[in-house]
Amino acid sequence: MRAALSLAALLLALVPAPAQAEEVTPAPTPREELQADLSTRDISIQSNFTGIEILIYGSVDFSQTKAPDQGTYDVIIVIRAPAQQIVARRKERVAGIWINSPGKVFPSVPGFYAALSTRPFRAIASDETLKSLGIGLANLDFGRVSKDDPNEETFRSAVIRLKEKQQLFQEHDDGVAFIGRSLFRANVALPVNVPIGRYTADVYLFRDGELISKNQSTLEVNKAGFEQMVYLLAFTHPLIYGVLAVLVAVLAGLAGWAAFRRE
Amino acid sequence: MLQVYLPITEISVNLVVMLGLGGAVGFLSGMFGVGGGFLLTPFLILSGIPASIAVATGANQIVATSVSGALAQWRRNNIDFRMGAMLIAGGVAGALIGVFLLKLLREAGQAGLIVSLTYVTLLGIVGALMLGESIRAIRRARAGKPASGRKPGQHSWIHGLPLKVRFPRSRLYISAIPPLVIGWVVGLLTAFLGVGGGFIMVPAMIYLLRMPTNIVIGTSMFQIIFVTAVVTVLHASFNHTLDVVLALLLAVGGVIGGQFGVRAGQKLRGEQLRALLAVMVLAVALRLLFDLVLKPSELFSIAPLVSGA
Repeated sequence: MRAALSLAALLLALVPAPAQAEEVTPAPTPREELQADLSTRDISIQSNFTGIEILIYGSVDFSQTKAPDQGTYDVIIVIRAPAQQIVARRKERVAGIWINSPGKVFPSVPGFYAALSTRPFRAIASDETLKSLGIGLANLDFGRVSKDDPNEETFRSAVIRLKEKQQLFQEHDDGVAFIGRSLFRANVALPVNVPIGRYTADVYLFRDGELISKNQSTLEVNKAGFEQMVYLLAFTHPLIYGVLAVLVAVLAGLAGWAAFRRE
Repeated sequence: MLQVYLPITEISVNLVVMLGLGGAVGFLSGMFGVGGGFLLTPFLILSGIPASIAVATGANQIVATSVSGALAQWRRNNIDFRMGAMLIAGGVAGALIGVFLLKLLREAGQAGLIVSLTYVTLLGIVGALMLGESIRAIRRARAGKPASGRKPGQHSWIHGLPLKVRFPRSRLYISAIPPLVIGWVVGLLTAFLGVGGGFIMVPAMIYLLRMPTNIVIGTSMFQIIFVTAVVTVLHASFNHTLDVVLALLLAVGGVIGGQFGVRAGQKLRGEQLRALLAVMVLAVALRLLFDLVLKPSELFSIAPLVSGA
């Protein structure tokens, strides 16, 4: 009983504390807010598509940086494409021939992933924060449940390595640059083999290891024009697509025959 | 420069390289009088196109080259349409099985391996046989002996089979079973390997069916048009592996290259041509074999999961 009373007294003493603090600081500085956008929100893949470079830019509103080179803030940008089901296979030697072993399925691997930052990720935020936000290739969750498999890590790192080789996974810890006190920018190159879909670009603002603001934009990557038509036809009306392909080939053959017949 | 995005393969290729590849294979096929699919598909695989796309797209490209080839043969009345129909009937049945076989292998991640292995075996055997035959022919020609032709009067067990059909154009009265079986095997190969199958069908028609040589090429081209067309539609429908843009690039190169190949071929002697072709076939087989036997620099591979549905 006495203990409860003293606890209540303690609570009473504590509750007004924030109010008192507000009264003490009469003009609080507004909290920093992040604004960000992409140089393009629609990417169309056409016959001349060989990849594209996009610019992510933004600013820190109410920046409290005193000097441009002070480095008060850290920015991390994560760009992701929709997740795909990926099967990873390892070749094994069977009777002198290298054969794919039964693969391991990773249910949700981002079709594209790029993480860019002002400094190495681990210098910006704690491992737990990075993990919960999925920042950095090491912190990606591919949706696999079995963790007791000894080969798990080998396959996981193989997926990352192969995706990095195709430039579908990227990590640049010096990819974001501040310009002056509040502006920042970053470039990311989307390779020719980027998957289609709605991408997200998450921008995180950190100060002293703490996430203080974030912003999300989206980016649509789609095939356009003739390429889109072919792609849609091939997957929605495959029979018509196949018949048309045969007709085109027959016409090409006829044209070739007609062109060279007279000689 | 001049990169072209392939909508199904989802990679960008060089226009000049792909036209050139189609042209080179077309040139060789014109020169040697073969379809060229058995060179084109391995070349595509070696240049980084996934095996299942290379097979479907190769079949589509062959439709174009065999149409122009067959038209030229038809003008010279070199097609036995009744025999062609038998070969097509067998071919379509074989194609159905081949397409589903490839679908199953693709889902198991073994399409590349099995397609390469089949190529190595087939090209190895055909190349070795052709090389041996052409070397003997060259020796005979040097020794001044006449080339040994076929002996038309000979009969084999094939002529004892039932269900006999008359083939007036070929002047044959034989069982329908051998043409159906030959067509079936060729259809299977077309669906599975993206080849026309002329390199199997032509010798089979000459040596097994004993058809007149001048009709063999036209009839095989006639069969190839229809079977590759069916294979194209089947792969597009069930495997979604047909890249029509790639096929068209290869077809344009192939049709043009083929015309120049025919002219170049007329300047070389038959045995020499066959020896040259045999060496090339063996080289392709060896190259594919090396890729299977040598330890790959990257043991892992990733692919989108192809669902069973």
